[in-house]
Formats: sequence, C-alpha cells, structure tokens
Amino acid sequence: MCHRRRGVFAFHDFVIMVLSPLWILSPAAAEEPKLIKHQITGLFAPDREKDLRDVFEQKLSQFKLISIDFKNAEASFDYDPTKIFPGAKPEQIIERFDNELRNATRHTFGAKPLRTIEKDKLKLVEIPIVGLDCKACSFAVYEMVYRLKGVEMATASFKEGKLTALIDPEKIDRTEIEMTLKQRGVQFKPQE
Amino acid sequence: MSDQFLSNSKFLSLILRHDRIRLLCFMILCSTSAAFAQQESFLKKHCFECHDAESKQGGLDLTSLKVELANADNFAKWVKIHDRIESGEMPPKAQPRPPVADKEAVTKSLKAELIKVEQAALQNEPRTGLRRLTRAEYENTIRDLFDMPGIALQGELPPDGSAHGFDKNSDALDISHVNLAKYIEAAEHVLNIAIATRPNPPSVTTRRISLANSGGFVTHVIMNGDGVLLKDKKPDPDFPPAAEQNHLDEGAHERMGTFHNATSVGLFRHEDESLSPYFIEHVTIYPGLYRVRTSLWSFQWDKGQVLPSRGTEAARLSVVQLTGDGRGGQHPSYKLGYFDAPSMDAQEHQLVTWLNHNEIIGFNVASLAPVANYNRKGRAMAFNGPGIACDWLDIQGPLHNIWPPFSHRVLFDDLPLSEFKAADHPGVRPPQRKQVRQLGAGKNRPDPAPGLWTVQSEQPLVDADRLLKVFLPRAFRRPVEAEVRQVYVAQVDERLKAGDCFESAMRSAYRAALCSPDFLYHVETTVGRALLPVEQQAAADSGQESKTGKSARPTKDSSIDDYSLACRLSYFFLNSMPDGRLTDLAARNILQQPEFLQMEVDRLLKDPKSQHFIDDFLGQWLKLRQIAATDPDKKLYPEFNPYLQDSMVAETRAYFRELIEKNLNVSHLIKSDFAMLNEKLAVHYGIPGVTGSQIRRVALPMDSPRGGFMTQASILKITANGTTTSPVPRGAFVMDRLLGQPPDPPPANIAAVEPDVRGATTIREQLAKHRDNVICASCHAKMDPPGFALEAFDVIGGPRSRYRSIGDGEPAPRGAIDPFIGISFKLGPPVDATGVLPDGRSFKDVLEFQTLVAADSNRLLMNLAERLMIYATGRDTSFSDRDQLAAIVAATQKQGGGIRTLIHEVVQSPLFQNR
Repeated sequence: MCHRRRGVFAFHDFVIMVLSPLWILSPAAAEEPKLIKHQITGLFAPDREKDLRDVFEQKLSQFKLISIDFKNAEASFDYDPTKIFPGAKPEQIIERFDNELRNATRHTFGAKPLRTIEKDKLKLVEIPIVGLDCKACSFAVYEMVYRLKGVEMATASFKEGKLTALIDPEKIDRTEIEMTLKQRGVQFKPQE
Repeated sequence: MSDQFLSNSKFLSLILRHDRIRLLCFMILCSTSAAFAQQESFLKKHCFECHDAESKQGGLDLTSLKVELANADNFAKWVKIHDRIESGEMPPKAQPRPPVADKEAVTKSLKAELIKVEQAALQNEPRTGLRRLTRAEYENTIRDLFDMPGIALQGELPPDGSAHGFDKNSDALDISHVNLAKYIEAAEHVLNIAIATRPNPPSVTTRRISLANSGGFVTHVIMNGDGVLLKDKKPDPDFPPAAEQNHLDEGAHERMGTFHNATSVGLFRHEDESLSPYFIEHVTIYPGLYRVRTSLWSFQWDKGQVLPSRGTEAARLSVVQLTGDGRGGQHPSYKLGYFDAPSMDAQEHQLVTWLNHNEIIGFNVASLAPVANYNRKGRAMAFNGPGIACDWLDIQGPLHNIWPPFSHRVLFDDLPLSEFKAADHPGVRPPQRKQVRQLGAGKNRPDPAPGLWTVQSEQPLVDADRLLKVFLPRAFRRPVEAEVRQVYVAQVDERLKAGDCFESAMRSAYRAALCSPDFLYHVETTVGRALLPVEQQAAADSGQESKTGKSARPTKDSSIDDYSLACRLSYFFLNSMPDGRLTDLAARNILQQPEFLQMEVDRLLKDPKSQHFIDDFLGQWLKLRQIAATDPDKKLYPEFNPYLQDSMVAETRAYFRELIEKNLNVSHLIKSDFAMLNEKLAVHYGIPGVTGSQIRRVALPMDSPRGGFMTQASILKITANGTTTSPVPRGAFVMDRLLGQPPDPPPANIAAVEPDVRGATTIREQLAKHRDNVICASCHAKMDPPGFALEAFDVIGGPRSRYRSIGDGEPAPRGAIDPFIGISFKLGPPVDATGVLPDGRSFKDVLEFQTLVAADSNRLLMNLAERLMIYATGRDTSFSDRDQLAAIVAATQKQGGGIRTLIHEVVQSPLFQNR
C-alpha cells in the first residue's frame, strides 16, 4: 500500500517538475480534472485546428481537448494520465499520448514535450514555395521540415505559397531546409 | 492431307510389330501389285513424260515409284496421285486431256485399292487411341466434378502438343513423369479447396473499393497527371489536378485521406509496362464465387474541365493473380470482360465470378488511346482528351448457397463436421491444413480460425465404400465395377490402420482416383464388350493378355457404348465431363438412338458451357490461340491495342455461334450479309452506327466484304506477321483451314518472299518473280489468289487501298484512327486485290473472290466436317473415311447446308460413333 502511494506521489512530482509552468493544478480535490498541455505536430495550417478537434471528438474522446494555440502549436487537454495510461511511468505519458494521437490520425498529428528553448532565441525562416493548392501537399512539405533537428515549429501552405519554420539557429539554418525541400522535389518561388 | 498420312505412318509401323499383321500386309501387297498393273498404262501415257527419272518434275519419278501401300509414305504418294488425277489438276492443262472414261477408271480402281489396304490395316483396331485429357479438358472436368467453376489448374500443367490441327489427338498427348507430378500437385490443390475445414462458411463481406487504393499504381499516376479525382462529376476541390507541379509525397496524401473521401477516379492513361491499375484492397483469401459490381462513366477532360465525352467508352475488368511478394502479376490472368462507360452517366455493371487465392481485380481504360501526362509540361492541366471514371467497385463474397459446399459433399456427402481434438482420437494423426499466405495490400482479413474441424465417421469403411460408390463413377465418367472400387476402399483401410484420420484416409483414395488413368484418360469401350479397367483394355487393344491374366473379349462391333458416347458428346460440346442428363441417357442405354442424339446435341449447344467448344475449336481450327503471337508495328499500326485484339477474337467466336444457332448455310464461312461487331471493330471496319463494347449482330452494307471468317480481323491478323502481309501465308491459311486443301510445304533452299516495308516494290511484283521458278509455280498458282484477294486488308485487318509505309510515300490521312493517336506512317503503293484462280476464273476484288469461293459449298462442308470429326473423335481422318464424310456432306446439303445440320450429321455418323 505504502509503495503504491509513494508511486503516485512520485508521478505527481514528475508532472509538476516538467510541466509546472504550464500546468494548472487544482489542489482542492484529487479527482478534479487535470489540465495538460502538449506541443502538437501536424498543425501546419489554421484549418488543421478543426481537424484536430474532430479527431478528439470522434476518435479520442477519452481526452478532452480544451484549447488550441495554433501560434505555438500547442493544445491543452483535460485527462487523467493515471487512468488513461495506468502503470505508465511519468516520462512515458507524452510518448503514450503521441501514440494514441498518431494511431488515430494515420500519423498526421502527433504530440511531443513542450519547447524548452525560449522563443526569443529562435529564428523565423520563411521560404516562398510553389505547388498545388492541396492540403496533403502542404502537409507533405511540413513533414519534410518539422522533423529536421533544430526546427521547433513549422507551417506550410501552397495556397499562400510559403513555408515558415521556427528554428534554433545553433542547430539548423535556412540553407539546410531549402536543400531538404529541393531534394524532395519542392519548387521555390523565383526571387522577385 | 499429308498430315493424315503421317499419322497413318505411325499407325502402320505400330501394327507391323505383329507377325500376323505382317503376313496380312504381305498378302495385300501381292494383290495390290497385281491390281496396280492396270494403272501403269494410264500413267505411262499421261504422266511419265514429266515424271520419269529424267524429268522428275515436282520431285516425283513415277517410273520408279513402287507400290508398297503398307508403307505410309508410299501410301500417301499414291493418294496424292489419285487426288491430282481426280481433280483434273494432272495432267496439266497444257497437255492432252485423258479420256474421261480412262480417268474415271483409273481413279476408281486406285481408290478401291487404297481403301482396301487401309481398311485391312485398320480392321479390329480402335481408330481413336487411348488419350489423356487435355489441359483444358482436365480443368473443366475438375470444375464440373466439384462445382468449382473457376479453379485455375491448367496453367500449372505442362502444355499439350498438337496433331492433325488439334490438341485432342492421342498422338499429341504424351504423358511423362512431369505430367504425373503435376497431376498429383493438382489433385492436392483441388482437395485443399474442395474440402470444408470449418463448421460455418467464411463470412460474406462487401467491400467498396476505390481505384485509387493505397499502395496501388493509380494513386501514383494521378498525382502526376495521368488521372484525376472527381467529385460530383467535377475535379475534386481537395485534389487539384497535377499541373506544372505534381502532387508531393504519395504517402502523405494517403495518410491525409486524399484517396478515401468518396471521390471517383478518372483515368486518362492506358495500362502499360509501368502502370497496372488494380483494385488492390481485396486480395482473395477464400476461393469461391464473388459478386463484383462497378460504376463507370466517361468524360472529356479539357485542361481542368469535365465535359461530355465523344461517346461510350469501354473499360476492361480482369482478374490478376498476385505472385511472389504480391507485386507481381502485371498481366491479367484472365479477362472478366469489357464494360460500357457512357458519357457523363454512370452505368452499373454486375457479374459473379470465381476468384482463387490471391487473385485481385484489375482495370484498364481499354478504349482510350495511350496517353502519358506524367512527365509532360503542364500535366493534366495541359491535357485535352477522353477519360474513364470509376466511381467504385464492390466485391461481395465468398458466396455459398449451402454449407458445407457442394465440392465437399461430392467427397463426404452429409457426414458431420466436428472439431478434431487429439485427446478424443488417441493414436490418430489429425488432418493437415495448408495455409495460404495473403499477398499484397489487401484490406480484407480472414475470419478467426475456427479450430481443426473435419468430417467424422462412425463406420469409416462402410462410409468409404458408400462415398466412393458415388464418386468414382462420376469421376471416371462410367460405371465402376465393385472390384475396382474395392481397391480404393482398401487404400482407405490401409491409411486408417496407419493412423490417418478419416478425412486424410479418404483424401488419399480421392487423390489416387484423380491421378488414375481412369480419370486422366478418355476410356472408350465398344458395344458388346465388358467394361474393363484401363490396363486390361490396353492389353485387349494390343491383343495380349492383361497382367491380371484375364483376356479381353474380341471386339466385334466398333460402335462405342453409350457412356463413351456421352463422353464424346460432352467433350465435344462442353469440353468437359458428361452432365447428369447425358449420364442418365447412357445408363438407360438410349443415348445412341438418333432422336436422343439429336435432342442432346441441341441441348448441349444451348448450354452456356458450349462456349468451351466454340473457343477451343476455333482456337485451333482458325488458330485464334495465336492471335497474340505477333505485335503489330507501332509506327505502321498505331491504332492497334489489346481491346481491338480481344474484339477481333470475340467477333469470330460470336460469328461461329451465330452460324450454329441460326443454322446458317456453310457459305457464310466465306461470305455474309451480317457481322458480329462492337463499336471498336465497327470503327475499325468503317461501319457506322454501332455503339458500345458488346458484340452484336450488325447488318452489313451490300458492298462490305466483312462477315465471313476470311475477312475477319482476327484471321487477317493471325495470317500476318505484325509488320507486313504476304499473300502466301494468307493464301495457305485459306487453302488449308477453310478449303481443306493444304499446300505442300515449301521446298528446301528456296528463299522466302519478304515484303518490302519501305514501299519500293509490292509483294505482287516480288511473287511474280518467285513464280518464275517452276518448282514454286504450281503451288503458288493455287495459294496466291486467295492471298491476293486478302491484300485488301492490312496487318490488323483494316481495309486498305494503299500499303502503309515507314519510308517512301505520301502523307496518310487519319481516317478512322482515334484523333488522340499520333500517326507517322505514309501511304505507299496501291493495293491490287485482283487474281485468277487455277481454273481460270478471275476476280477483281475480294468481294468477287468471296462469291467464287462461297459457291463451292461442298468443299466448305467437307472441310468443316473433317475438322469437326478430328476434333470430336481425337483422331485423324483417313482416306477410307472420305466416303463417309461425303455422305455427311450430302445429307447436310439435302437439308439446306446449315452448320448446325452439319454438326448433327457428324454426330449421327458411324465415324463419330465408332471407336
């Protein structure tokens, strides 16, 4: 009994430690919902917000989606990790959540830990691209970029003709992103 | 005719092994030599001048030709001499004509001698040798025996040979250890599918599939502009057509659900080396019948706009066997058919078909011109042309009316199925189950494994006897004696004692039966002779004692018994085992009665399975099996495609069926006032007013030469080499296949005539030089005229007044060629389709030639009667059969000369009914 109780406390300690600045915990009652914020991958365009809401309404109703912060590619959820992922170690929660989200969306959405690097240390890169006004094509370009090491966030829209990436300049630069895109057949708007 | 006598050569050499037959032949030889003395004066007077040792024209020296009719080669030479004199071909026209009385006397006596010798040699010998089932017969027989109408077997068996024009002759049906090994494999495969291994049928599922299925070829090409996604008959707003840029990353599109949002797929691109459109989401797990439905329509794509199409287009559905890793199988295993896609108006099509393990449905925009926007600038948004849209394809199945299925009941009747638990059967080996892995990217999944279910028997040997008593006569196509059955029951007993479960023990007996000569061979017995096992019968045929020591009774009546007759009829018209009605009539011993035979022939010809006869017979008689042997030159014949080729074959088959069904006069083989066409062929022939992919009867304009076999595109393609036509092979085909007068093979060391595709000289000019050679002249005089008449048609059977050229020539008008097909050929020299027959009658075009040939209905009937007889009996006809064939022809003529009448007369004749 004691051992179990210690385990619960250890989990809460971890959650507070890792996510405390972003967590709003209600100390009043243990059964109260816990608001958890994750970084979401796949939010490459504003209309993806609706897609994300649909996913959680139709396929992942065990997680209550509270809000989406498109600018920061983050979303807040109301769920109890101890119930949904019983027995999972604290560091496994985000991984489990990511798996659920990926499986429900054929890997078009995912989750990862919140950014730890401060936003003002990041650099916004904007690359003009040309292609078909196709959501899946935009997703394809987004995927090419957001997986690169040093890319903290990205958006893509062929309709608007641009790709944006919030990058850590110490890890990646614009040239590397352009090279990656070029290798995968993406064409750039001619410089005016 | 030379083929016939080649066969006789083998036959005679076989029988000469027996001393008593040698003696008989010697006696015949002596009497024959005496009789031939009467011919000598005629030959000396009219023939020796050209055919002596010095002149030896045509390689024939009559002065030294011996009379040794027991020798097949010698026999054949004398038959040829008889025929040349009788037809008036010899002596040549330039020579003085022999008095008619002399000519008749000499041919009559020569004929009598030839028949006498031949009949003596054939006396007491079965004319039709013991022969195994052909691959097609084997497959059809298994399909009917087990009611598994699409099980694929013949592709795994070694190819059959061919003799006397058909593969049904014992001379062509060798058997080797390879055959035997394959028969064992095939029997195992059949039993694996036939035996029910679960208490309930596999669940019936209905799956709606888009042509743009994940991992398929189609998604890839539509991302690059060779097709589009359509919604409400407009471009799908979520999937803009590929333009200057193509769509990026197929996988990303699949995951985003691009291809699964209930859109239709519009394809512009034809199946080719790198595109095989499949409905890949259904990969068959349970062999059986499936209902296939699809919705198709066509449109005109105009750089992003969907407009009404030029007319009804045609799409092809096929079945493709996946192999290896599931990506193989490029070419369709077989075609399900061509289906109409009307302009902007979806039409639903439905069919029920058998699907085997790992078979999927394939698709092709059959009627469209080959197009590839893939790497073209502007891709789909720069393309203007026709497209075919597939809204969806539903596959429902497997469909079972009863469970266990009929195939299982054939083997185990109503014995109960129950779960095999090893604890309940100590010391008994459980039945073996073969697992077949599902290949490819099918999304259908097997039902949960039900456990190990098998048939149970409380009295295994009693049940074994009961089951085999029903199965063996059906499989062997005749009554089976108790002692034969006991051999199989004993085998079951042995396997049970060895520890097999009941199913395995029975399976062993069934496998043995399916690999036994009684099943694999056509065992024909004559009236009055007791039914004998194959081994004894073979011994009886050779006049020896069988190994069992039982001597067979000698045959007095060479008529086959009713069971054998039922088989002959069945393998003639259905290319498969006799059905219940035939077996019943045979059991009542009334099948041989003319009125029953008449009724049965009519009934069998009405049976849909009689298409096997049409396909198999025409495939060999008219060489339709060789339709794909040549690929027409793409520069000279850019309009050719597989749809046209399949339409050609369909025309010939439908036409023959029409001749039979309507009992049309034999002259229709050559000349007709109607043709069996679909739109593709009608356009090809220049006949207006035909829409759609289905073949139907079309009245022809008065001046159209189409309709008869000779001018059908299939025949014209088969007799060309893909690049050029030559009057020689075409003429030889007409002489051999339609008129029954095959020309002699070309002499050695004579160069073949090769048409000049540069267009500098015509084939007629080249042949004129060729005929300067005396050795060549006589044959070409007969062979070239039909070929000259057919010069009016090109390599793919299209009409022409000038040859196509890839060198010199004038620019060619497009004519009826699809405007989306580029043309680069030119027009060469004009075609001359005039000619003169050997008898001096001339014709100015193919129409006149047809009239001349069609008038000789006796010859046409005689040839067809002979072809049908060879096909139906599995043996060649001989010189002494000619009178009987003539009687068949005469009886047919009396009744109007109809094709169906001819078939009836063939069946009613002793030639058909004798062994």
